[in-house]
Parts: sequence; structure tokens; C-alpha cells
Amino acid sequence: MSTNYYLPEDQAPLPPKHAEVLTTCCDYCIVACAYKVYRWPIGSGNGGTKANENAFGIEFPSSPLEDWVAPAQHNVVMHKGIPHNVVITPNKEAITVNTNGDSSMRGGLIAQKCYNPKTPTRDRLTTPLVRMFGTLQPVPWDFALEIAAEVAKHVIAKHGANAYSMKTFSYQYIENTYAVTKFALRHINTASFTFHDTPSDVTSTPGFRDAGFDNFGPSYDDWASAETLMCCGTDPYETKTILFTQHIMKGIQAGMKVIMLNPRETAGVTYVKKMGGLHLDLYPGTDTVLLGAIARIVVENGWEDKEWLENWVNNKWESDSGFGQGTRNTPWQWRTTWGKFQTKGFDDYKKWVLSQPEYELEAAAELTGVDATKIKQAAEWIAKPKEDGTRVKASFGIEKGFYWSNNTGNTNAISSLATICGAGGREGRVVGRFGGHQRGGRRGGGLPRNKSPEKVPGRRRRALDTDRWLVSGHTRFAHVVGTTWIQSMSGSQGLQQKFQELVVNNPNQVRSYDKQEIIDSLKARADSGGMVVINQDIYLRNPIGAQFADIVFPAATWGEEDFMRANGERRLRLYQKFYDAPGDAKPDWWIIAQLAKKMGFDGFDWQNSNDVAEESSRFSRGGRKAYHMIKVYAHKHGHTLHEQLRLLGADGIQGPTFINDKGELKGTKRLHNTEMNPEMVKERYGENGPGAANMVNKKMTHFNSQTGKVNLQKHPWSLFSDFWTWLKPKEEELWFSNGRINEVWQSGFDDVQRRPYITQRWPENFLELHPDDAKKRGIESGDYVMMYSDRVAAHKDTILGVGGDDFQFSKLMENGHIELSKAAVTAVAIVTPHIKKGVMYAMFIDMRQPTNALSARVVDNISGNYNYKMGVAKVKKLGESQYKKEFRSMSFAPRNIA
Amino acid sequence: MTTNKESAVEHKKCMLNRREFLLYSGASAAAVSTVTLFSGTAQAREARVVAYPRKLITRLSELQDNIPVDFKYPDDGKNSECMLVKMGGVEAGGGIGPQKDIVAFSYLCTHQGGPLQSTYKVTDDQRTLGQCPFHLSVYDLRRHGIIVSGQAYQSLPQVMLELDGDNIYAAGLMGLLFGRNQNLMEA
Repeated sequence: MSTNYYLPEDQAPLPPKHAEVLTTCCDYCIVACAYKVYRWPIGSGNGGTKANENAFGIEFPSSPLEDWVAPAQHNVVMHKGIPHNVVITPNKEAITVNTNGDSSMRGGLIAQKCYNPKTPTRDRLTTPLVRMFGTLQPVPWDFALEIAAEVAKHVIAKHGANAYSMKTFSYQYIENTYAVTKFALRHINTASFTFHDTPSDVTSTPGFRDAGFDNFGPSYDDWASAETLMCCGTDPYETKTILFTQHIMKGIQAGMKVIMLNPRETAGVTYVKKMGGLHLDLYPGTDTVLLGAIARIVVENGWEDKEWLENWVNNKWESDSGFGQGTRNTPWQWRTTWGKFQTKGFDDYKKWVLSQPEYELEAAAELTGVDATKIKQAAEWIAKPKEDGTRVKASFGIEKGFYWSNNTGNTNAISSLATICGAGGREGRVVGRFGGHQRGGRRGGGLPRNKSPEKVPGRRRRALDTDRWLVSGHTRFAHVVGTTWIQSMSGSQGLQQKFQELVVNNPNQVRSYDKQEIIDSLKARADSGGMVVINQDIYLRNPIGAQFADIVFPAATWGEEDFMRANGERRLRLYQKFYDAPGDAKPDWWIIAQLAKKMGFDGFDWQNSNDVAEESSRFSRGGRKAYHMIKVYAHKHGHTLHEQLRLLGADGIQGPTFINDKGELKGTKRLHNTEMNPEMVKERYGENGPGAANMVNKKMTHFNSQTGKVNLQKHPWSLFSDFWTWLKPKEEELWFSNGRINEVWQSGFDDVQRRPYITQRWPENFLELHPDDAKKRGIESGDYVMMYSDRVAAHKDTILGVGGDDFQFSKLMENGHIELSKAAVTAVAIVTPHIKKGVMYAMFIDMRQPTNALSARVVDNISGNYNYKMGVAKVKKLGESQYKKEFRSMSFAPRNIA
Repeated sequence: MTTNKESAVEHKKCMLNRREFLLYSGASAAAVSTVTLFSGTAQAREARVVAYPRKLITRLSELQDNIPVDFKYPDDGKNSECMLVKMGGVEAGGGIGPQKDIVAFSYLCTHQGGPLQSTYKVTDDQRTLGQCPFHLSVYDLRRHGIIVSGQAYQSLPQVMLELDGDNIYAAGLMGLLFGRNQNLMEA
């Protein structure tokens, strides 16, 4: 752990001519910028300032935008047991992602991620741990694995596969996610499975899926080629920096107007405004109403794209044609609650939008808190035809600030608005997610949804909610891979209390040195209604590892193994191993393989990560980042899949991949490419179309719907308004939202906890408060404040829905399924006009002050996702923090200084 | 400027004093030495002895509130553009003068060397440099040039100042200047 006592260094070594150069990409945000690792042995001589004396081949001092080594970009690591210098800097040769060799602060400092016992990374897990007599004690791999395997087998045999709950990252490299899902879904076959960011294994953007949009269809340069870009629920500058600085910013400089939907005005929003853009500063959870009002203005004025609607949107008969499985009883019907979303085409949609009182301009302005003239302006910018009658090219991008509040309603609304404006798969008119973490998922098995005991009214099984399953006492064995489980979920303090009760407060604790007795104690705990926890991670996380895990497996990560992954434009690259993992830490695929073998499963005899990648490739076919053809191409040329990706270098290749009739490997710039002409088809697939192992499906040239055209859907506010109205601030409460902050990635295990400079910037969680709200409460910047609530709602029961509205919030409340509990989180106040009045904002998972404690543990009643970005809390001053009067750390300057 | 003050021995004394000052300025000042405080941690290190020149920049009596003065430091070579500003009575970490409001910083963004000239801003009681025209980084001049928002790899290098009568001297640097591998490079 680092502290905020930090002295800047004033020198850095330059890599010498003899440094080895390896390519990799940043480990953090979706964009995955290309980096170079320069590695040379300690004592072999550093580079000089003359061009012929250093590995960059340039003169120092270097000029702006040229290579440079900041002190924090240097580290010392072990490579094959010998200490080496490494310098990790953005790859100036990158021509696609981080053009100009740009970098974010997070990636720019990634050299600090490497394990070095002289730095705050010294507490990396280096050996397996088993909790005995209340202490996690180092043990050999076999000892830990055998205990885990015996207890796991027992739990599955006695309590069923669903008693084995797997909570795992969805993104931390293709090799690992394939191994984890093969183990949990194919072999254990548990329905109690989900990823790090959702309680159940469901789609993140239900509206996109039902409309037919892939989340990641566009290329990064597409986001710069619109005339108007609407960004919903994110400032890309803060959370996917290079997409903004190298792509969107260039578009803005060339005249693209940007509309931002966000209750905060951060640096990117400020820049957009300065360049003539629009900021729609709405209250949390009101996006559906705002977009509904905009859609209403569009159709009232007849500004819809008639040609697009005619050619690419389902009419009455097409809407009703199901997924080729008959018109009824399809997943779409189950999700859409029997007609609440389905339309008979545009005219039906228009009639519906005009009939919704919430979407009348004045009503919407009142509810969303956005000025009516700005709403009108937005509608004009995205849809009003120009004087010569031609259309504005508008693109639409969303991220979690948007889709994690009214998940289904918001994503339906944006899909429909984009569609009536003519956006889809064409240049300058794209629809997609901007993205959060990188795309490293590859499933090695399917979720056995029919084994889920959850059922929603009128529909079939819904993916099991692992939090509710655990809270109701059905989880006997929790296997947690690379996530905190608790702080990253919602209503998290209540969830933590349940872990405590099931694990620590259970009388069956390990009080023995004998392996069999240890196994027996843990089996007895599971049998008595308690829970056993195993955890794979790179650091001992609190509380999941430090307080709850019975067994901890040390994982190897970025730079410590060859891994592959894609970014938010489906671009696949190899992340090369360049140094030794600390101690006995092993990659997650290896840990899973050993556990699987000890449990008696076959198919886990991989020798290295390339073996895993090659086995997984055939399951990628048909997917957005299909990489199977890279393997086919590699084998044809005598390479492995990983070697081929390494040869593809900094720019990699965009999935899905193909081999054309000339034997050339081809990628895919854009999905749903409705503008593909015969020449482009020939170039990609060859004279006679796709052959051999190439697999081409609808999403390449059409949309992911039953017909290949877009489903235009309704987005009723009424399905959500009971919850929103119940939640909205009462008396002294304020809205509370949370999210990422530019300087910190994800839960901060690297940066905010182990990078002194970032620790200095953000030593604790903060709370942004509008000056008017602060003044009323006597709060100033630098004060310690407490956010607290006595009405954090939690849905506590696993139930079967029978009546149509059984999962509606008001009905759950009426039927006693909602429990209200208290939560409290402290923070350092930042009083700033860049947050909307009436709204507060903090970082989403600071481990010491986890703010998801204040959001409801109640899922979206259609999709099953949490609405993390919406909470309410009271706030009061506790006293002054040390940061108020000293000048060393934090900053109370607003983020909207242009 | 005297030859005595430019000597390394004299300078080291001066550096440590200033480092302590920078570290403990403000409410949490404590009478312990740097080495004791950080011993056994990654941050434990002796202040490096570098012979920064002592250079006359301007005079206190000539400074106008919130009007930056440009100068070059530590030499006249590449990437030495700096600014000094009296921040209108707003106290800052490392600030000198009766109101501790005079500070000086490098003009080169520590992200990719973008020019921060003409970006000095007064926002209520905050004082900042930025947005950088390249990638929008903003720095907090009250807090040793720490990043407010942006992509920088470190705080903006702060020029250490000394007030001698009415004369203001630059006498050292905290942090590495963009483009250099050490602040004092051989010509």
C-alpha cells in the first residue's frame, strides 16, 4: 500500500540501444492503448542523450509529443531470475488506437504495476494461503488445491451444483475466462454463476440486444465521423481517455457537435461546451424521460429518417416474426413482457411516443431538471434536416452512467431514438457502447439457465441472481476470481453482513494442522448452512480475501504471462509476458486447471496459455471478436496463435477475422455494416464469398434481430417510475451517484492503493457537492462528511413470479420482499459547481469507503441488472480532514476549468 | 549571486530545507526530518545533491497579482520555459513572500510536453494551469502542481524560490522536466 507521502523524482534512465523491445497494451480501460516495454539488465548501462545512444533513437531533451521517460515509467523487475530495468512508454508507432503514441495517466504509469518489493506492490500474493486458527498461512499449491477440491466435490454431491457459486471477472484475458467458464459452466454446470459487475449472468444492455445492436459494432474512428455525437452517461475523456483525445476530439475540431448527458461537468464536457457543444445535466435515472422528450420532438416535426425506417426497421409483420422459432414464446417475448415494448413499426411507435404524458417537453424538463430549450436544441442537432433537405449524420454512444440506471428503459429509449434518426451501421451514424473494461471474455460453456430456480411472471427461467441466492442461504461454496464480489455489488454493506454471518460466524472454523480435519471442518460448515470461500487474486483484497476466504490462490497477471484480449473496437492484440510473476503466483487458467484435475474433470491438460487460447478459438466463431481464423492462418504459416498475434503487433487485427481466397487474413472495421458493397465483400471473403472455416453471420451486414432489421421498441417510463418516485430524495436527502474518476482505474488496487502519486491525488474517497447544497449544510471543501441512509432497499427473497407485476418494485414492497437497511460512508467533501445542484458524486469502489453501500440491492425488473448509479443519502459534516489546510495532497479545484 | 551559495555543499543544505518546507507547509508541519519519517519505505531516499543555479527572476515589488512572469530555468536550453506568479494573496504549498502566494512552475505539461502558456486561471480561491491544449490536463498551483484532472505522469515541476530582500531567485526544481532525463543536462 502506498501513502500520500510522496516526493517527486527528478531523473529517469533512458533505455539503451541494447534494450530488448516487447509490445503490449495497457491493462486497464477498454481502449487498450499500445505500449512498448524496453528491458535491459541492471548494470548493463543506460542509454545516453544522443540519438545513437538510446533505444528511442532521438535526441534528448526530446520535443513535445516525442518519446520521453517520466520517472514513474521506469521500474526494476526480475526476468528469468535476473534483475532488469524496464521502461514502459506509449508506442509511438501505433497507427490505430493511441495514434501519436498518446496515453492516459493510468496507462502512462503502468510500469508501476509491476511487482517490485521496493515499491508499494510488495504485498502481492506470492504463495497459496489456507486459513488455520483464524490466520491465512502460506502453504504449498497441492495442500491448498486438495482441500479446495475435496470440499468442492462434497458440496456439489451433497447440495447440488447450484450450491457452488462462481463469481469471476469477465475480462481479465481470453485464456483465463475460457478456463474459468469451462470449469464452472461446462463441468460443474452451476446456474449460480455470474461476472464481476452484475448479480446474474445477463446482458448489460437489454435494449441494444432486443433492437439488434451489438455493443461494440463501431470502430474508434467512426466515433469521430458524425456531425452530431450524443454521449450518454459518461465523459469519455475521464474513462476511456484516448477514444476522446485521439478520436472524438479530432472530430470536434473538424466541426462535430457533441451532446453530453451527465449530471457532472468534467473536463471532456467542459471541452465540448467550449467548442460549442451541449451539456444536458439531468438528474440520475431520468434518461428515459429525456430521450423520450427528444424522440417526441423529432416525430412531432416529422424529422425522422424515413428512408432508413422504410429499409432497415421492422414493420408490423417483421416485428412479430420472432427469432425464426415462431412468433411467441421466444426470449425476446419473455423479456419484453408480452407487448409492453414491441411495436408494429414506426407509425405505431410514433403514436405511442405522442401518447406518453411524461415525454411532453415541459413535463420532461421538470422531471429531468434539464432546461427545455436545451432539450429542443438537442433534438434539432440530431434530427432536423438541413436547409438543402439532407440529413444530419448523428451517432449515439452510451456507457454505465446511463445503462446502470433504468437499465432496460434507457437502453430501449436510446435504441429507438438512434433508429428514428437513421443511425445504425453506417459511417458517421453508429450506435454502441463506449465500453468499460476490455473485452477478454471467451465462454467455455453455457449458463444452464433452466437450472435457475428464478422465474419471472409469464416467462421462463431468469438467470439466477447470485446475491439473492447467497443472502437466502443457498450458496455453500463461493469461488471468487479477481473481483471483490461485495463492494462491487449494490447495497454492499448488507451483503457484507451476510458473508460475515455465513462464513465467520459459523461455528465450524479450521482449528487443526491435519489436512483431513481441515477438510472435514469446511465440509461441516457447508453442511450446517454456512459457506466456504476460495479466492484467486493478485492482492489480498479486503474483505473477500482478508476476512472471508478460507483459501487464497495467488494469481499472475499482466506482463507475467502471454495473454490475448480485444478492445472496444474488437481489436485483438497479444499482451506479452516480460517478467517473472512474483513467487509462486500462477495465471488463473493454470489455477483452474489444477483444481479441475483434482476434482476429476478431463480436458484441462494445457501446458501453456497458447494451448488454452488455441482450444478456445473455435468457440469464438460467430462472435464479435472471432479469432479462430487467426489460428487457422497461424498454423498454415507454421506459427502458434499467440505468435501470430505478436507478429500483428501494436495494431493487431479487428474481429471477426476471415481468410479470403488469396489466403490473406482480414479483419472487420465495423459490424452491421449496411454500406458494404460487392467490392468490399470480395476483398474480405474472396471471389466466391466466404469458404473453408470462415463463418459469417447476420451481424456483419445486418442487425442482430430476427429479420436483420432493427426492432423499434417502446420505452415506457411506467415500468420504472414506481421505483424512481419511491427513491427520489425526500426531506434532507440528495441524489447520490457514483462512478469512475480519470486518475484511477476500476477498484484502484494498482493506482490509488499502490501508486504514491495517485494516492497523493486521491488519498481517500471524495464527495462532490454543489455549493448551494454544501452551504445549506455548513460543509466546505476538505471537511469530512458522512453520507448515510436508513432506506437502502434490498430484495431479499428468491421468488417465483406469477402475476404480471410481481417483480415490479411497488409490488415487491407490498409483498414484503424488500428490506430497508441502514448504510453509511465517509468521504472528504469537494464543494464544486461541476456537479448538478441536488446531486452528489463519489468514486464507486474505494475499498475503505465503498459507496455502492448506498445504492439499492434491487435489480431492474426486466433485465436483472442493478441500477448502481442511483441512490439517495443525507450528508452531514463530521469535522475537518487533514487535507483542508495542508497543500500536499488532494485538490479542491473544480474539474470544469477550461 | 555569490559563488559561495552556488557550491554543492551550500546547495544541499538549501535543498533539504526547501524539501522540508515543501513537505510540511501548511497545517501538518512537524519537526521531524525527512529521513526519519520515511525510513524503511520506498520513499526513503536522500535528497539528491544537484547543483541547481540560483537565478534572479524578478522583484517582489514589480509583481502584479495574477499576472504570470515568464522565465527560463534551470538553464536556457530546451524545455526550460517556466512561469512565476503572485496569486493574489492565495497561499500555496511552497509559496514565498509575505502571503506565501508566490510560486513558480514549468510551462511544459508532464504528459506529453504541451505548452501551458496563457492557461493560468483564477477560479474563486483556486489557481490552476491548463487545460493543456494537447490533451486537456489541468494542474493545481496551490498544491505543488498536482494534477486536478488529466493525463499527466507527475505533478508539474515546481521551481523552488527564495526571497532575498526584494529579489526573487529560482534555486531548484521539484520533479523532472518534460523531455529531460535529468533536470541539469550537459550542454
